[in-house]
Order: sequence, then C-alpha cells, then structure tokens
Amino acid sequence: KSRLLWQPERESFPGKPGMASTRISAQLPPDIDPTKAPIAFGRRALPKLNEEIQSPEPLTQQHALMALCDLVHDPEKVYQAIQIGFVENLKTLLLHHDSTVRQKTTEILCIMAMHNVGRQGLIQKGVISALAELFDDPVDICRKNMHQVFEMMAKFPEGAADILHAGLIPLLMFKLKSELDEIQELILDTLSNCLRVEASEALSSGAITILKQKLTHSSVTIRSKAARVLLAIGTHPEGKVVVGEVIPVLVSLLEDTDPEVQASATGALMFATVKPQGRFSALGAEAIPPLLKLVAGETSKARLSAIKTLTMLAELPEGRRKLLDHTDMFQQCLNDPCEAVKRAAEIAICVIKWKPY
Amino acid sequence: MLPAPRREAAAPSAVPYCYCSPPRALPARTKYRAPPEAAQPEKEPVRYANLMYDRRVVRGNTYALQVVPASTQLDLFEIQRQREARRRALARKRAKEQMQLRTPEPVEGREHVHVQTELYLEEISDRIIEVDMECQTDAFLDRPPTPFFIPAKTGRDVATQIEEGELFDFDVEVEPILEVLVGKTMEQALLEVMEEEELAQLWAHQRAYAELRNAELAEVQRLEEQDRRYREEKERRKLQHMQMLQKQKETTEKIAAWAFAKRYLTDLIPSVFNNLRESGFFYDPIERDIETEFLPWLMTEVEETLEKKVLGRMMLDSLIRTVVEKRLDAFSQEPLSGQTEAPTEEPGPIDAAPQEADETEAADLPVTASEESDQPVAEEQLSRRISFQLEEPDRAETEDLETE
Repeated sequence: KSRLLWQPERESFPGKPGMASTRISAQLPPDIDPTKAPIAFGRRALPKLNEEIQSPEPLTQQHALMALCDLVHDPEKVYQAIQIGFVENLKTLLLHHDSTVRQKTTEILCIMAMHNVGRQGLIQKGVISALAELFDDPVDICRKNMHQVFEMMAKFPEGAADILHAGLIPLLMFKLKSELDEIQELILDTLSNCLRVEASEALSSGAITILKQKLTHSSVTIRSKAARVLLAIGTHPEGKVVVGEVIPVLVSLLEDTDPEVQASATGALMFATVKPQGRFSALGAEAIPPLLKLVAGETSKARLSAIKTLTMLAELPEGRRKLLDHTDMFQQCLNDPCEAVKRAAEIAICVIKWKPY
Repeated sequence: MLPAPRREAAAPSAVPYCYCSPPRALPARTKYRAPPEAAQPEKEPVRYANLMYDRRVVRGNTYALQVVPASTQLDLFEIQRQREARRRALARKRAKEQMQLRTPEPVEGREHVHVQTELYLEEISDRIIEVDMECQTDAFLDRPPTPFFIPAKTGRDVATQIEEGELFDFDVEVEPILEVLVGKTMEQALLEVMEEEELAQLWAHQRAYAELRNAELAEVQRLEEQDRRYREEKERRKLQHMQMLQKQKETTEKIAAWAFAKRYLTDLIPSVFNNLRESGFFYDPIERDIETEFLPWLMTEVEETLEKKVLGRMMLDSLIRTVVEKRLDAFSQEPLSGQTEAPTEEPGPIDAAPQEADETEAADLPVTASEESDQPVAEEQLSRRISFQLEEPDRAETEDLETE
C-alpha cells in the first residue's frame, strides 16, 4: 500500500485562456508540506524526481529527496526506482556537503532496504561500499541510518556476504568502542548476523576484549546483543576457543533480570560448551544451577538453549553426576508444546542416563 | 485586396483548373484586442466570418471601378507595352462588335429606342455618382465587464430573519471535516503501524527460526564432538591394547630367552672348567715341572743310554757280521757248523757292547751308516724298550738283557 499524501485538488489544464499555471492563487493551501517537491502523477513521479535530484541547486535536491522519502514506502515504487537508476544518483548524493541531503539520502536507503526488492537492488549496485564512506560522518542521524541499512542488509545471506567482502568488520569493531548507544545496538546486530557466516576477521581484530566489555554494559539491549554476537562467533570452531575465555562472564549473565539477556547468554554458552575446554570451564564456573532454573521456567525464551547447554555439560562425568538428580525437570519439558523443546529434552535425558559400560 | 499567398496547386492530372491563389475562407478579425496582461497569445478556435459582413470585401460597383495603378511613374517600355495592349484590345473589341449579334434593324416606320424597364427610372450618365464616405474603425475596446446577471424577478418576496448561531453550528459543520481529517490521519497512522508491525513480525519470525537453527546447530556440533571423542578414545584404546600385546610378546620372549639362557649357562661353568682342564690350564706345578723338565732330561738320558746300547749292538752286529763273513768265507766249505754258533754268539757281542761303548763313540758315524739297514728293526726294539723303560728306568739294562 502506498503512503497517502494529502494532496489538494489541482487543475492542470488552463481553465481560462492565457492563464496556464498549476496554481490557482498565489497563496498555497495551508496544510501542504512546503518542503516537499510536488510529485507528478502516476509513472512520471519517479523519473521527474530523478531529474530533480541531479539538479545543482541543493534546495531542489532536498525537496525531491523529501518527496522520495515518502514514496519509497511502497515496494512497487522501490522497484521502479531501482529500474530507472535512482541508486547511482543516491550514491553520489551520499557524499554531498549538505547534511540534510545526506540525512535524507540515508533515510531513503534505509527504507529501501526494508523491502526485499530494495535489498536486492542495493546489493547489485554496490551501495554498501559507498555507504562505508559515511562511517565518520559528523551528523548522528546519518550514521544511525547508515548503520540501520547495514543491519537490514546483514539479516540475509547475500547482504552479510557483501558486508564481509567489503571488509567492514574491523571498522565496525573499532566503531563499537566509540559510538553512541543506539548506534552500538545496530552495530552489534549487524555483527551478529555477519559473523555467523565467517568469524576470522573479527577474531583477528580483537573482538573478544571489546565484547567482554559490552557484556557488562549498563544497557540491557547492549548486553543481550553482545551476547548474541558471541553466540555467532561461537558457531565457528576457532571462535569456540576464544569464547571459552568469556564463559565466567556469560554464566554471571545467566542470572540477569532481563529474559533477553538470559536467552542470548544461554545461546552463547550453548556453543561455547561444545568443546571440552569450554565444558570444563563452564562446570568450574557453576553454570548448572542457573541453567536448571532457566529450564524450569515454563515461558522462558532460553528454555531450548538451556536444555541444549545442559546436554553438553552432561557429556562430562561430573556434569552427569550432578544432573542425574534433576532428570524429573527434563521429564516435565517433554510436555512442552514446542516440538524442538520435546526433542531436546529427550536427547538430554538420553545423555544424562548414558553409562560407559 | 489582400495580397494572397501564391500557392501552386500540385495536383497534376485530375485537376482541370489550377488556381493562382486558391480560394480560402478568411478568418475573422478579432473584435477586441488581447488583454494586456496575457502571457502568450492563445490558440483560439478559428472563427470564420460571414463573407457578406467582411469589411475587406469590396462593396459597390465593380464594373466601374477605378483601379489605381501600382506605380505612377512608368518606363518607356511599359508605356509602349500599354499602348500596344490598348490597341490590341481595341482591335479585339471591334472584332467582337462585328461578330456580335445585333438586334435586327427596325422595321420601316419604327425606331429602336433604349428603354429602362425597371421599376424606378435611373438616370444614366457617364458620370458615376460618387459619394464620399468616411469610415473609421473604432479604437480597440477593452472587454467590457460582464454585466451582472440579474434574473428577472419571479416569485414572491418573502422576508426572514436569521438569528446568530442558527445558520452555522460549528459542532455540526465541523464534523465532516473532522471526520475526513481524523480518518486520513488514522489511515496514515495505521499504515505506518502496519508497516512496522509487519517488519516486527518478520524479525520475530526470523528470531524464532534463528533460535531453532542455533539449537540444531549446537546439537550437530555436540554430536560431532561426541563422535570425535569416541573415535579418539577408540583409537587410544586400540593403541593401548596393541602396546599391551606387544609388551606381552616381548615378555614371553624374554622369559623364554631367560629360561634357555639359564639352562644353557648351568652347564657353562663345569664345561668351561672341563675344557680348561682338558686344555691344560689347570696344572699341578710339580707335575708340570716334572713333565717339562725332568722327564725330557730323563728321556734324553735314556736315549743316550739306548743309543749307546744300540751303538754297542751295532758294533756287535758289525763285529758279528764281519766275523760271520769271515767265518763264512772261512767256512764256506763247512756251512753246517756255522748255524749253531750264530745264536750263541749274539749274546756274546751284546755283553761286550756296553764295555765298548766309549770306544764306539768315535766310530759312530760310519756305524750309523751301516746301521741304516738294520735301523727299522733296531728302532722297533728301541721303542719297545723305551715304553717299558718309561715306567721303570732303573731296571732298563737288566730287563733288556733278560728279554734278549
């Protein structure tokens, strides 16, 4: 559905001989937005805005961008925009000296990235590398929009691969130290999606120290997202070794008040305990009691991850000994409506009751 | 006459007639001039005027029209041409007049008279009645303001009074406007909210899926890890077992070797000592001394003695031989008496031999040469004697004598 603009009725044909302008009177109607360029009708709208964007006057450009911003909420318009080559012009505008122009351009790219058509188009035209120029932009909102574009693009595989190819991970990690909180959240989201694909670049740029810091941040969302990044790093074998160093902090996060943080921390632990060293350090950090609490909670998001982590820990003889007393809790989980939880509980019971002979 | 644009008619074959300037309907002149503030002249629909009311059309007599020539000054050539034309025209006219049909001559007594038959008589004269008329177009008028249309009054006059607040009730009037405004705002807001909700739903869906995927991935990795551990454990145990078997084998071999070596070595010392003893490493020094020193000396002495004896016997033998030969020679005629003397003579020379031992030493050499033939026999006898004498060296001589 297209976003409706309340446009006044306009007669474009001359009603009287010799009077041929679109304005009936010199005063504009009172409720129109004067900062937007008038949009032509139907299919002519986008090509006209395309021409206006390329005009040398910054005011025209701003008006056109504001109008475009409203139009791109409609996916069909996004598709048309990409077809007629809007994206190249937007790329040049990213480096404009005027901050409003840059802000609006990034906003438009952000909205375009929300649609699948838009994402495909942005990848094809290589917008990500162009956006990377704005990392040090002085205006906050430009950077925020830029990071939002990255976050959106990272959510699906080709976008994540693109971001990795553009070598942005070390930059993102560096920015994590110095940016504002909101932007940090976006960066963490981007990282968690990209690092799921490949983690070697992040590890080489010292990700763990930075993330360890973030795990103890005051903001809840940042903690949970940092834990999620660690989860993503932990899916790779070399990452598991590195995440193993952070296990004590993760175990302390299991007792955090926010369920999101708990869920992410449990997930990260789940991957970190796959390797034996991780398991031993988790056992050493007394991870079992909080995990059992999480399993017991019926509606906790972390249930599945907690069951899986306990399964990992049950592979060790010490863990098995401790968990043999708690098998009834897993029996309870067998009645969970979620199919995956039931399966996980069965597997957990199997592993706990396993004997070497 | 307006100058007409010359247009050659392009139709070649079917058109019988070709206009020099084809006829066209003339558009009307605008009555009023254009308003001063108009930006562009507008393309108005072409209005064709009535030919009858067109000012540009010539009115009045056309048969007596004086056309003013274009130029008053004429060239000589032009004048000549005109004269020629006039002459030709005259000639043509005369010819025409002659050709013309005329009315027949009047009958006798009658006369043809020109008569006007119209209703009103007209004075025909050469002089054209000229009237000077002036005409001037009016100055262009501005468009007069549209007169107010005041329709004719119909109906009855009725008066009424409107109190304040009766006509316009704000609350009622504002309702539709408000509704539209609120409706549009709500619609826009709903759209925005829907968009965000759609996105939120998508992300929630994706998160749930990501959770499941993570769980499955973790499970896969755990199983991988387990498998790896079991495999490694198996390998280690196999290795251990192999090592154990190896050690066992070595141990049995060692035990076997130890048993064999022990058995072998039990005999070792006695056999070694036996061997040593047999090879003469343990000896009684006195015995050895006796053997090494005493006995060789004894033997040499015995040998000497025996040699002496043998020498003696040789001497004796040779003596006997010579004697016998001599006797043989002497008694060659009496061979019977010689046989009985031979054995009795043998001990006799033997008795004489030890006494003559010293004497025969000097004649040892030639004696030994003749002894060579008797040597094996003598040697045999010597060896027998020596073996006897090993045990009893003191009684050697006496026994020797006795055995002889």
